[in-house]
Amino acid sequence: MPEISPKLIHTLSLMMIFTSFAAVEARNLRHATTAYLFQALLICGLLASYALQNPSLFYWAATALVTKAVLVPWFLWRATAGAEQETKPIIGFGVSAVLAIALLLVMYWFTHAHASLFINLKGPNVPLAETNLAVAFTVFALGLYGILTRRDAVKTVIGLCLLENGVHLSLVSLAPTIRETALAGIATEVVVTVYLLLYIIAGIREKHGTTDTFRLSELHW
Amino acid sequence: MAEGTTSALPVLLVIVPAAVACLIPILGRTWLWSREVLALIGAVGAFAFSVWAAGEVLGGAVLTAFGGQLYMDALSALLVVLVSLVGLLATIYSLRYMKHHAEGGETEAAATERRLSAYYGWLMLFIATMLWACVSNNIIMLYVAVEASTIASGLLVAHYWNRRALEAGYKYLMLLTVGITFSLFGCVLVYTSGANILGGGRGLLVSELRTIAGQFPTTTVALASAFLIVGFGTKAGIAPFHPWLPDAHAEAPTPVSALLSGVMLKVAIYALVRTVSIFYPEHASVATFALALGVFTLVLGDLMALAQDDVKRMLAYSSVSQMGYVLMGFGIGTQLGLYAGLFHLVNHALAKSLLFLAAGAVIYSTGVRSISQLGGLAKRMPVTSFCFFAGALSLAGVPPFNGFQSKLALLTAGALIGSWWAVVLALATSLITVLVLLRAAKSIFWGEASAQISEVREAPAGLCATMAVLAVLCLAIGVYPQGVYRPLKAATVALETVSAPRHQLADRLPSQAVPGGRQFAWKAGDKVCTNRLLHTR
Repeated sequence: MPEISPKLIHTLSLMMIFTSFAAVEARNLRHATTAYLFQALLICGLLASYALQNPSLFYWAATALVTKAVLVPWFLWRATAGAEQETKPIIGFGVSAVLAIALLLVMYWFTHAHASLFINLKGPNVPLAETNLAVAFTVFALGLYGILTRRDAVKTVIGLCLLENGVHLSLVSLAPTIRETALAGIATEVVVTVYLLLYIIAGIREKHGTTDTFRLSELHW
Repeated sequence: MAEGTTSALPVLLVIVPAAVACLIPILGRTWLWSREVLALIGAVGAFAFSVWAAGEVLGGAVLTAFGGQLYMDALSALLVVLVSLVGLLATIYSLRYMKHHAEGGETEAAATERRLSAYYGWLMLFIATMLWACVSNNIIMLYVAVEASTIASGLLVAHYWNRRALEAGYKYLMLLTVGITFSLFGCVLVYTSGANILGGGRGLLVSELRTIAGQFPTTTVALASAFLIVGFGTKAGIAPFHPWLPDAHAEAPTPVSALLSGVMLKVAIYALVRTVSIFYPEHASVATFALALGVFTLVLGDLMALAQDDVKRMLAYSSVSQMGYVLMGFGIGTQLGLYAGLFHLVNHALAKSLLFLAAGAVIYSTGVRSISQLGGLAKRMPVTSFCFFAGALSLAGVPPFNGFQSKLALLTAGALIGSWWAVVLALATSLITVLVLLRAAKSIFWGEASAQISEVREAPAGLCATMAVLAVLCLAIGVYPQGVYRPLKAATVALETVSAPRHQLADRLPSQAVPGGRQFAWKAGDKVCTNRLLHTR
């Protein structure tokens, strides 16, 4: 069985976190989409690296390439045509960046130190599993942070994509023997959800004249 | 229990509506009439196969397909029949209701007419995905099916494509997807722990996981149940994860509201209890948490319902509250508690679908949704008003309707384990429910008719017939609860094999309902199991 280089995994993982940060903090939606595209490619790279040990992950990597790195960015790119600037979020750039960095540090440190909460740690691949879980949960947390603090509907969709990426990445350590049908189901659903959400958001832009979720206020109570 | 009879029925009852969903956009484009016909075929087919399969399951079989990937025991059968019954009635109701909006509705007639193909297609897919979730035994595919039902209903919620509907659709898809992602984490954690013990792909099957859940580490149990409760609880409308619910229920076309409230919430709570209850035997605190959350939900939902003027929003908040009652039953965790939860689940599905359809009939005839602007409709819409009152009395827990029976069982179960705080709160909230629903019913159907709705006529026969079926069912179950005793008991036992250690699986419920004794006969039957629970806690 070929060895996985821990250095490669660590580099890719660090870049995953960096792209998540960029996707959440970039004020230009197209820049955020680009950051997301890079993240999707990194996920494919990570999955392919892990696949050296567990060949069934090659299938997962290929699915991720089609859904995450091609379809979702394409939908996002189309949705941001003519409206590239994000609606100003609740929190200003500086504060938000500090908060996001604090969140990712805490999340990474916590999950890395407590990976045994999630999996039964044994065998030679413990450091890899720890890194994988820590990155997965950090990306998840940043996605959730994006959804909760951004006003722009398209930006919340990007947050949702990050959230899903985090969960999907965790499957590498948590569910390595999962069936292909289940993987295909999980991956397809994200794409369809993103498509439908952006379709509805296009309708919102047409009828409300904005994608600012704070101005969607017809329904209260 | 895990090994069953291989059968094509669980596949067929999902495939038929799914296939119809694919055909409608293709054929409906050329022949406009075909979409209604196809939708009817799909709904009738799903219902027929569901009843057939349920008959076999009641006969003692457990149906499986694809090597245990699909699995249908009495609990699945109960849900499947419920989903396909309400699905069929909602489809019949749509035939007339959706035409009307096409003729003079809120948006352009031509655009709405075009979207009808999409409407019926998504409707069939929605029903198919809910049925799939009910028979799915693979824990990851359970998540996939539940999320698929969210996707299938997203555009149904936004169907009218106006400002309110779009806002509701966005919130619906976004909140439910985020919520359900938590449940994926939960499912994956359960899977991992299971795979550690069972090894390989076997860890994916719920029917096998439940036999080994006792060996999971406590921290995993805590994390997994938290994720599962947040995830599936969001979709089941459990407070505080319910904010999507009133918007979606109120803005969706009425037949879809009936489906969302009547059965989609039930499918979600089914997924919740199926997965979380595997931890009950060893971790009683999970059950207690569910009980507390249920009571919180039932109180909050009804208080919010009290403040509503829009009839559909009022019904939506009332759904939140009633889901709290269901969760309370599952949280009590005894045999009678589980029975009461399932019984209330069935009763709420029937009564709330009835109420939504009746509210839809009122909107159909008057074009008004605000309770305060309606009045005096009882003379002009006698069938609708009778049906609305039947549903309202049922949910309020007034005899002789079905809601009385299940609430009585629920309160008895709560009292038997000594959770008096829950019983008192549930009882007090029940009084608020009476106030909320009967006040609305009185205001809509009695009193003075305002000038703008003086020329109102009864809703068409197609609408009245579907409501009448549900009203008769509500009354029949209330008068003769023995009729649903056997399937409910079988479903309770199927769920309870999860929550009780294996050697205690003996029939503790009376094997036959005592005629005339009704719910009161339960007390004696449940004593034993309550004692057992007190001891094991």
